[in-house]
Amino acid sequence: MTDAKKLQGDKLSEADAIERAKQGDAEAFQLLYSLHKRRVYSLCLRMTANTAEAEDLTQEAFLQLFRKIATFRGESAFSTWLHRMAVNVVLMQLRKKSLPVVPLDETLESEEEAPKKELGAPDPVLAGSIDRLRLQRAVDALPPGYRRIFVLHDVEGYEHNEIAAMVGCSIGNSKSQLHKARMKLRESLKTSRAEKATKPW
Amino acid sequence: MNCTEFQEILPEVFEAGRTAEQAAHLKSCPRCSGLLADLDLIAREARQLQELAEPSPRVWNSIEIELRREGVIHELPGGPVMAPRARGWNLGAWLAPVAALALVAFAIGVYQRGWLSPQSAPQLTATAPAQISNPQPAKSQPANNEDQQLLAAVASRSPAMRAQYASNLQNVNAYIRDAEESAQADPNDEEAQQIVMDAYEQRAAVYEMALDRSLP
Repeated sequence: MTDAKKLQGDKLSEADAIERAKQGDAEAFQLLYSLHKRRVYSLCLRMTANTAEAEDLTQEAFLQLFRKIATFRGESAFSTWLHRMAVNVVLMQLRKKSLPVVPLDETLESEEEAPKKELGAPDPVLAGSIDRLRLQRAVDALPPGYRRIFVLHDVEGYEHNEIAAMVGCSIGNSKSQLHKARMKLRESLKTSRAEKATKPW
Repeated sequence: MNCTEFQEILPEVFEAGRTAEQAAHLKSCPRCSGLLADLDLIAREARQLQELAEPSPRVWNSIEIELRREGVIHELPGGPVMAPRARGWNLGAWLAPVAALALVAFAIGVYQRGWLSPQSAPQLTATAPAQISNPQPAKSQPANNEDQQLLAAVASRSPAMRAQYASNLQNVNAYIRDAEESAQADPNDEEAQQIVMDAYEQRAAVYEMALDRSLP
Protein backbone atom coordinates (compact mmCIF):
# COMPACT_ATOMS: atom_id res chain seq x y z
CA MET A 1 0.00 0.00 0.00
CA THR A 2 1.37 3.43 -0.86
CA ASP A 3 1.92 6.10 1.75
CA ALA A 4 -0.83 8.15 0.18
CA LYS A 5 -3.37 5.38 0.36
CA LYS A 6 -2.38 4.61 3.90
CA LEU A 7 -2.84 8.19 4.92
CA GLN A 8 -6.04 8.45 3.00
CA GLY A 9 -7.42 5.18 4.31
CA ASP A 10 -6.59 5.89 7.91
CA LYS A 11 -7.23 9.56 8.18
CA LEU A 12 -8.14 12.10 5.54
CA SER A 13 -9.77 12.38 2.15
CA GLU A 14 -8.26 14.81 -0.31
CA ALA A 15 -11.05 17.31 0.27
CA ASP A 16 -10.53 17.14 4.03
CA ALA A 17 -6.80 17.46 3.55
CA ILE A 18 -7.24 20.62 1.47
CA GLU A 19 -9.37 22.20 4.18
CA ARG A 20 -6.93 21.21 6.90
CA ALA A 21 -3.97 22.39 4.85
CA LYS A 22 -5.62 25.79 4.66
CA GLN A 23 -5.35 25.82 8.45
CA GLY A 24 -1.64 24.97 8.27
CA ASP A 25 -1.85 21.29 9.20
CA ALA A 26 1.43 19.56 8.33
CA GLU A 27 -0.13 16.12 7.99
CA ALA A 28 -2.62 17.44 5.46
CA PHE A 29 0.16 18.97 3.39
CA GLN A 30 2.01 15.68 3.46
CA LEU A 31 -1.05 13.77 2.32
CA LEU A 32 -1.59 16.12 -0.61
CA TYR A 33 2.06 15.79 -1.52
CA SER A 34 1.90 12.00 -1.31
CA LEU A 35 -1.17 11.85 -3.52
CA HIS A 36 0.32 13.92 -6.32
CA LYS A 37 4.09 13.68 -6.07
CA ARG A 38 4.52 10.96 -8.70
CA ARG A 39 2.49 12.75 -11.34
CA VAL A 40 4.19 16.10 -10.74
CA TYR A 41 7.68 14.64 -10.52
CA SER A 42 7.15 12.53 -13.62
CA LEU A 43 6.00 15.60 -15.51
CA CYS A 44 9.08 17.54 -14.41
CA LEU A 45 11.36 14.63 -15.22
CA ARG A 46 9.88 14.12 -18.69
CA MET A 47 10.13 17.82 -19.45
CA THR A 48 13.71 18.27 -18.26
CA ALA A 49 15.21 14.78 -18.63
CA ASN A 50 17.26 15.56 -15.53
CA THR A 51 16.53 14.06 -12.10
CA ALA A 52 18.12 16.80 -9.98
CA GLU A 53 16.35 19.52 -11.93
CA ALA A 54 13.10 17.58 -11.79
CA GLU A 55 13.31 17.32 -8.00
CA ASP A 56 13.98 21.03 -7.66
CA LEU A 57 11.03 21.82 -9.92
CA THR A 58 8.78 19.40 -8.04
CA GLN A 59 9.72 21.13 -4.83
CA GLU A 60 9.05 24.55 -6.33
CA ALA A 61 5.70 23.50 -7.78
CA PHE A 62 4.46 22.13 -4.46
CA LEU A 63 5.75 25.16 -2.57
CA GLN A 64 3.86 27.48 -4.89
CA LEU A 65 0.76 25.36 -4.53
CA PHE A 66 0.90 25.21 -0.75
CA ARG A 67 1.55 28.93 -0.43
CA LYS A 68 -1.60 29.59 -2.45
CA ILE A 69 -3.75 26.80 -1.10
CA ALA A 70 -5.90 29.22 0.89
CA THR A 71 -7.10 30.66 -2.43
CA PHE A 72 -8.23 27.29 -3.78
CA ARG A 73 -12.03 27.40 -3.99
CA GLY A 74 -12.66 24.07 -5.62
CA GLU A 75 -14.03 25.37 -8.93
CA SER A 76 -11.60 23.08 -10.72
CA ALA A 77 -10.20 19.74 -9.64
CA PHE A 78 -7.32 20.11 -7.24
CA SER A 79 -5.16 17.89 -9.43
CA THR A 80 -5.87 20.09 -12.47
CA TRP A 81 -4.89 23.16 -10.50
CA LEU A 82 -1.71 21.53 -9.24
CA HIS A 83 -0.63 20.13 -12.59
CA ARG A 84 -1.20 23.40 -14.37
CA MET A 85 0.94 25.06 -11.72
CA ALA A 86 3.64 22.44 -12.17
CA VAL A 87 3.62 22.96 -15.93
CA ASN A 88 3.97 26.70 -15.43
CA VAL A 89 6.87 26.22 -13.04
CA VAL A 90 8.65 23.97 -15.52
CA LEU A 91 8.02 26.23 -18.48
CA MET A 92 9.21 29.25 -16.50
CA GLN A 93 12.37 27.40 -15.58
CA LEU A 94 12.97 26.37 -19.17
CA ARG A 95 12.51 29.96 -20.29
CA LYS A 96 15.05 31.07 -17.69
CA LYS A 97 17.48 28.62 -19.18
CA SER A 98 16.83 30.23 -22.55
CA LEU A 99 15.75 27.03 -24.18
CA PRO A 100 13.85 27.72 -27.38
CA VAL A 101 10.23 27.66 -26.30
CA VAL A 102 9.17 29.85 -29.23
CA PRO A 103 9.22 30.44 -32.07
CA LEU A 104 8.71 26.82 -32.86
CA ASP A 105 8.25 27.39 -36.56
CA GLU A 106 11.79 28.57 -36.77
CA THR A 107 13.16 25.63 -34.85
CA LEU A 108 16.22 24.74 -36.77
CA GLU A 109 16.65 21.12 -37.58
CA SER A 110 19.75 19.65 -38.99
CA GLU A 111 19.30 16.93 -41.55
CA GLU A 112 20.40 14.49 -38.87
CA GLU A 113 17.84 15.72 -36.34
CA ALA A 114 14.86 15.84 -38.64
CA PRO A 115 12.77 12.70 -38.90
CA LYS A 116 13.79 10.81 -41.98
CA LYS A 117 11.43 10.90 -44.91
CA GLU A 118 12.13 7.98 -47.17
CA LEU A 119 8.91 7.81 -49.01
CA GLY A 120 9.97 5.16 -51.49
CA ALA A 121 11.86 2.94 -49.10
CA PRO A 122 10.51 -0.05 -47.18
CA ASP A 123 9.37 1.10 -43.74
CA PRO A 124 9.17 -1.51 -41.00
CA VAL A 125 6.53 -0.78 -38.41
CA LEU A 126 6.69 -1.09 -34.63
CA ALA A 127 4.57 -4.23 -34.75
CA GLY A 128 2.00 -3.01 -32.29
CA SER A 129 4.17 -2.91 -29.18
CA ILE A 130 6.59 -0.54 -27.49
CA ASP A 131 8.79 -1.27 -24.54
CA ARG A 132 8.01 1.42 -21.97
CA LEU A 133 11.61 1.90 -20.91
CA ARG A 134 12.70 2.35 -24.50
CA LEU A 135 9.93 4.84 -25.04
CA GLN A 136 11.00 6.74 -21.94
CA ARG A 137 14.59 6.87 -23.16
CA ALA A 138 13.51 7.95 -26.61
CA VAL A 139 11.42 10.77 -25.13
CA ASP A 140 14.35 11.86 -22.96
CA ALA A 141 16.53 11.99 -26.06
CA LEU A 142 14.16 14.25 -28.01
CA PRO A 143 15.27 17.82 -28.66
CA PRO A 144 13.84 20.02 -25.85
CA GLY A 145 11.32 21.79 -28.08
CA TYR A 146 9.85 18.55 -29.38
CA ARG A 147 9.95 16.93 -25.97
CA ARG A 148 8.04 19.78 -24.34
CA ILE A 149 5.13 19.62 -26.75
CA PHE A 150 5.06 15.83 -26.82
CA VAL A 151 4.98 15.57 -23.02
CA LEU A 152 2.28 18.20 -22.67
CA HIS A 153 0.06 16.66 -25.35
CA ASP A 154 0.61 12.93 -25.43
CA VAL A 155 1.74 12.31 -21.84
CA GLU A 156 -0.17 14.96 -19.90
CA GLY A 157 -3.19 15.16 -22.16
CA TYR A 158 -3.36 18.90 -22.80
CA GLU A 159 -5.09 20.10 -25.98
CA HIS A 160 -3.23 22.07 -28.60
CA ASN A 161 -5.05 25.29 -27.73
CA GLU A 162 -4.03 24.89 -24.07
CA ILE A 163 -0.44 24.15 -25.03
CA ALA A 164 -0.35 27.13 -27.35
CA ALA A 165 -1.48 29.39 -24.51
CA MET A 166 0.93 27.90 -21.98
CA VAL A 167 3.97 27.77 -24.20
CA GLY A 168 3.21 30.92 -26.16
CA CYS A 169 3.04 29.54 -29.69
CA SER A 170 0.36 29.06 -32.33
CA ILE A 171 -1.89 26.01 -32.40
CA GLY A 172 -0.42 25.11 -35.75
CA ASN A 173 3.07 25.19 -34.26
CA SER A 174 1.99 22.90 -31.49
CA LYS A 175 0.52 20.39 -33.95
CA SER A 176 3.54 20.53 -36.18
CA GLN A 177 6.01 20.03 -33.32
CA LEU A 178 3.98 17.16 -31.95
CA HIS A 179 3.97 15.41 -35.30
CA LYS A 180 7.71 15.85 -35.70
CA ALA A 181 8.27 14.56 -32.17
CA ARG A 182 6.22 11.43 -32.84
CA MET A 183 8.03 10.84 -36.13
CA LYS A 184 11.37 11.18 -34.40
CA LEU A 185 10.31 8.84 -31.63
CA ARG A 186 9.22 6.29 -34.21
CA GLU A 187 12.61 6.43 -35.88
CA SER A 188 14.43 6.10 -32.62
CA LEU A 189 12.25 3.21 -31.42
CA LYS A 190 12.74 1.37 -34.68
CA THR A 191 16.48 1.89 -34.45
CA SER A 192 16.69 0.61 -30.89
CA ARG A 193 14.52 -2.37 -31.83
CA ALA A 194 16.81 -3.18 -34.74
CA GLU A 195 19.88 -2.88 -32.52
CA LYS A 196 18.30 -5.20 -29.97
CA ALA A 197 17.50 -7.71 -32.70
CA THR A 198 21.10 -7.81 -33.94
CA LYS A 199 22.58 -8.48 -30.48
CA PRO A 200 23.81 -12.07 -30.20
CA TRP A 201 22.28 -12.57 -26.73
CA MET B 1 -3.69 10.83 -53.35
CA ASN B 2 -0.14 9.55 -53.06
CA CYS B 3 2.07 8.92 -50.01
CA THR B 4 3.75 12.32 -50.11
CA GLU B 5 0.44 14.14 -50.15
CA PHE B 6 -0.94 11.94 -47.39
CA GLN B 7 2.06 12.38 -45.10
CA GLU B 8 2.02 16.13 -45.54
CA ILE B 9 -1.45 16.33 -44.07
CA LEU B 10 -0.88 13.58 -41.50
CA PRO B 11 -0.97 15.90 -38.43
CA GLU B 12 -4.44 17.02 -39.48
CA VAL B 13 -5.54 13.43 -40.04
CA PHE B 14 -4.76 12.81 -36.38
CA GLU B 15 -6.62 15.84 -35.16
CA ALA B 16 -9.62 16.06 -37.45
CA GLY B 17 -10.12 12.50 -38.62
CA ARG B 18 -9.81 11.30 -42.21
CA THR B 19 -11.69 12.10 -45.37
CA ALA B 20 -12.94 9.45 -47.76
CA GLU B 21 -9.97 10.09 -50.03
CA GLN B 22 -7.49 9.69 -47.19
CA ALA B 23 -9.24 6.56 -45.98
CA ALA B 24 -9.04 5.09 -49.46
CA HIS B 25 -5.31 5.81 -49.60
CA LEU B 26 -4.75 4.19 -46.21
CA LYS B 27 -6.65 1.11 -47.33
CA SER B 28 -4.47 0.70 -50.39
CA CYS B 29 -1.10 1.71 -48.86
CA PRO B 30 0.41 -0.52 -46.17
CA ARG B 31 3.28 1.92 -45.71
CA CYS B 32 1.09 4.88 -44.78
CA SER B 33 -1.28 2.74 -42.74
CA GLY B 34 1.73 1.30 -40.89
CA LEU B 35 3.04 4.78 -40.21
CA LEU B 36 -0.34 5.93 -38.91
CA ALA B 37 -0.62 2.86 -36.68
CA ASP B 38 2.86 3.48 -35.25
CA LEU B 39 2.21 7.12 -34.46
CA ASP B 40 -1.09 6.21 -32.89
CA LEU B 41 0.64 3.55 -30.80
CA ILE B 42 3.27 6.03 -29.61
CA ALA B 43 0.58 8.51 -28.62
CA ARG B 44 -1.31 5.84 -26.67
CA GLU B 45 1.74 4.40 -24.95
CA ALA B 46 2.94 7.87 -23.93
CA ARG B 47 0.17 8.00 -21.33
CA GLN B 48 1.93 5.17 -19.52
CA LEU B 49 4.80 7.54 -18.80
CA GLN B 50 2.57 9.80 -16.77
CA GLU B 51 3.43 8.43 -13.34
CA LEU B 52 6.51 6.39 -13.89
CA ALA B 53 8.89 8.01 -11.46
CA GLU B 54 8.96 8.96 -7.80
CA PRO B 55 10.94 11.79 -6.21
CA SER B 56 13.36 11.05 -3.40
CA PRO B 57 12.06 11.50 0.17
CA ARG B 58 14.31 14.50 0.55
CA VAL B 59 12.00 16.55 -1.68
CA TRP B 60 9.22 16.43 0.89
CA ASN B 61 11.65 17.15 3.71
CA SER B 62 12.77 20.32 1.94
CA ILE B 63 9.20 21.37 1.25
CA GLU B 64 8.20 20.89 4.86
CA ILE B 65 11.19 22.76 6.20
CA GLU B 66 10.50 25.68 3.88
CA LEU B 67 6.78 25.74 4.73
CA ARG B 68 7.57 25.74 8.42
CA ARG B 69 10.11 28.50 7.94
CA GLU B 70 7.54 30.60 6.09
CA GLY B 71 4.85 29.86 8.66
CA VAL B 72 2.58 28.14 6.13
CA ILE B 73 2.69 25.03 8.31
CA HIS B 74 1.90 25.88 11.88
CA GLU B 75 3.52 24.04 14.71
CA LEU B 76 0.82 21.83 16.14
CA PRO B 77 1.09 19.75 19.27
CA GLY B 78 2.02 16.25 18.23
CA GLY B 79 2.76 17.32 14.68
CA PRO B 80 5.22 15.38 12.57
CA VAL B 81 8.90 15.96 12.89
CA MET B 82 10.88 15.65 9.73
CA ALA B 83 14.58 15.51 9.32
CA PRO B 84 16.05 18.37 7.32
CA ARG B 85 17.15 17.71 3.79
CA ALA B 86 20.76 17.75 2.77
CA ARG B 87 20.75 18.86 -0.84
CA GLY B 88 23.71 17.75 -2.82
CA TRP B 89 27.13 17.23 -1.33
CA ASN B 90 29.88 19.76 -1.49
CA LEU B 91 33.21 20.20 0.13
CA GLY B 92 31.88 21.59 3.38
CA ALA B 93 28.75 19.51 3.60
CA TRP B 94 30.40 16.87 5.73
CA LEU B 95 30.42 19.43 8.50
CA ALA B 96 26.66 19.23 8.82
CA PRO B 97 26.44 15.74 10.30
CA VAL B 98 29.44 16.46 12.47
CA ALA B 99 27.79 19.61 13.73
CA ALA B 100 24.56 17.74 14.33
CA LEU B 101 26.40 15.08 16.31
CA ALA B 102 28.19 17.78 18.29
CA LEU B 103 24.83 19.27 19.17
CA VAL B 104 23.61 15.87 20.20
CA ALA B 105 26.66 15.43 22.39
CA PHE B 106 26.03 18.84 23.91
CA ALA B 107 22.43 17.96 24.55
CA ILE B 108 23.48 14.71 26.17
CA GLY B 109 25.81 16.65 28.42
CA VAL B 110 22.98 18.90 29.45
CA TYR B 111 20.75 15.90 29.89
CA GLN B 112 23.22 14.05 32.09
CA ARG B 113 23.78 17.08 34.27
CA GLY B 114 20.26 16.62 35.51
CA TRP B 115 18.46 19.37 33.59
CA LEU B 116 16.02 16.67 32.65
CA SER B 117 14.52 14.11 34.91
CA PRO B 118 17.51 12.32 36.41
CA GLN B 119 15.94 8.89 36.48
CA SER B 120 15.89 8.74 32.69
CA ALA B 121 19.30 9.86 31.58
CA PRO B 122 20.52 7.22 29.16
CA GLN B 123 23.55 7.58 26.93
CA LEU B 124 22.07 8.86 23.73
CA THR B 125 23.89 9.35 20.52
CA ALA B 126 22.98 9.00 16.90
CA THR B 127 25.29 6.37 15.53
CA ALA B 128 27.21 7.68 12.54
CA PRO B 129 29.18 5.56 10.09
CA ALA B 130 32.68 5.01 11.38
CA GLN B 131 34.03 5.00 7.89
CA ILE B 132 32.21 6.20 4.82
CA SER B 133 33.92 3.78 2.54
CA ASN B 134 32.95 0.85 4.70
CA PRO B 135 29.41 1.25 5.94
CA GLN B 136 28.85 -2.37 7.00
CA PRO B 137 29.25 -1.86 10.75
CA ALA B 138 26.26 0.42 11.00
CA LYS B 139 24.13 -1.97 9.01
CA SER B 140 24.84 -4.94 11.18
CA GLN B 141 24.51 -2.87 14.32
CA PRO B 142 21.00 -2.74 15.71
CA ALA B 143 20.00 0.84 16.29
CA ASN B 144 16.99 -0.18 18.33
CA ASN B 145 18.62 0.12 21.71
CA GLU B 146 19.66 3.73 21.39
CA ASP B 147 16.45 4.54 19.55
CA GLN B 148 14.47 3.05 22.43
CA GLN B 149 16.42 5.17 24.88
CA LEU B 150 15.72 8.26 22.84
CA LEU B 151 12.04 7.42 22.60
CA ALA B 152 11.91 6.83 26.33
CA ALA B 153 13.45 10.23 26.89
CA VAL B 154 10.97 11.87 24.52
CA ALA B 155 8.05 10.06 26.12
CA SER B 156 9.12 11.13 29.59
CA ARG B 157 8.84 14.78 28.58
CA SER B 158 6.16 14.70 25.92
CA PRO B 159 4.28 11.40 25.63
CA ALA B 160 2.26 12.63 22.63
CA MET B 161 5.43 13.05 20.57
CA ARG B 162 6.70 9.53 21.04
CA ALA B 163 4.78 8.00 18.14
CA GLN B 164 5.95 10.70 15.76
CA TYR B 165 9.58 10.19 16.69
CA ALA B 166 9.21 6.42 16.48
CA SER B 167 7.89 6.81 12.96
CA ASN B 168 10.66 9.21 11.99
CA LEU B 169 13.33 6.92 13.35
CA GLN B 170 11.83 3.98 11.53
CA ASN B 171 11.88 5.92 8.27
CA VAL B 172 15.38 7.22 8.67
CA ASN B 173 16.69 3.77 9.63
CA ALA B 174 15.08 2.31 6.52
CA TYR B 175 16.71 5.09 4.50
CA ILE B 176 20.09 4.19 6.03
CA ARG B 177 19.61 0.51 5.21
CA ASP B 178 18.74 1.30 1.59
CA ALA B 179 21.64 3.69 1.26
CA GLU B 180 24.09 1.19 2.70
CA GLU B 181 22.89 -1.57 0.41
CA SER B 182 23.47 0.68 -2.58
CA ALA B 183 26.91 1.65 -1.32
CA GLN B 184 27.87 -1.95 -0.72
CA ALA B 185 26.68 -2.98 -4.16
CA ASP B 186 29.18 -0.59 -5.70
CA PRO B 187 31.89 0.53 -3.24
CA ASN B 188 33.35 2.85 -5.89
CA ASP B 189 30.12 4.77 -6.30
CA GLU B 190 30.86 8.12 -4.66
CA GLU B 191 27.28 9.26 -4.92
CA ALA B 192 26.10 6.20 -3.03
CA GLN B 193 28.63 6.95 -0.29
CA GLN B 194 27.35 10.47 -0.06
CA ILE B 195 23.81 9.23 0.25
CA VAL B 196 24.91 7.08 3.19
CA MET B 197 26.29 10.19 4.85
CA ASP B 198 23.08 12.06 4.05
CA ALA B 199 21.10 9.29 5.68
CA TYR B 200 23.19 9.44 8.84
CA GLU B 201 22.90 13.19 8.85
CA GLN B 202 19.13 12.85 8.86
CA ARG B 203 19.32 10.38 11.72
CA ALA B 204 21.52 12.75 13.69
CA ALA B 205 19.07 15.54 13.00
CA VAL B 206 16.17 13.49 14.35
CA TYR B 207 18.16 12.91 17.52
CA GLU B 208 19.06 16.56 17.69
CA MET B 209 15.44 17.66 17.40
CA ALA B 210 14.24 15.03 19.84
CA LEU B 211 16.69 16.09 22.48
CA ASP B 212 16.13 19.73 21.75
CA ARG B 213 12.41 19.33 22.30
CA SER B 214 13.04 17.28 25.40
CA LEU B 215 15.05 20.03 27.00
CA PRO B 216 13.27 22.37 29.39
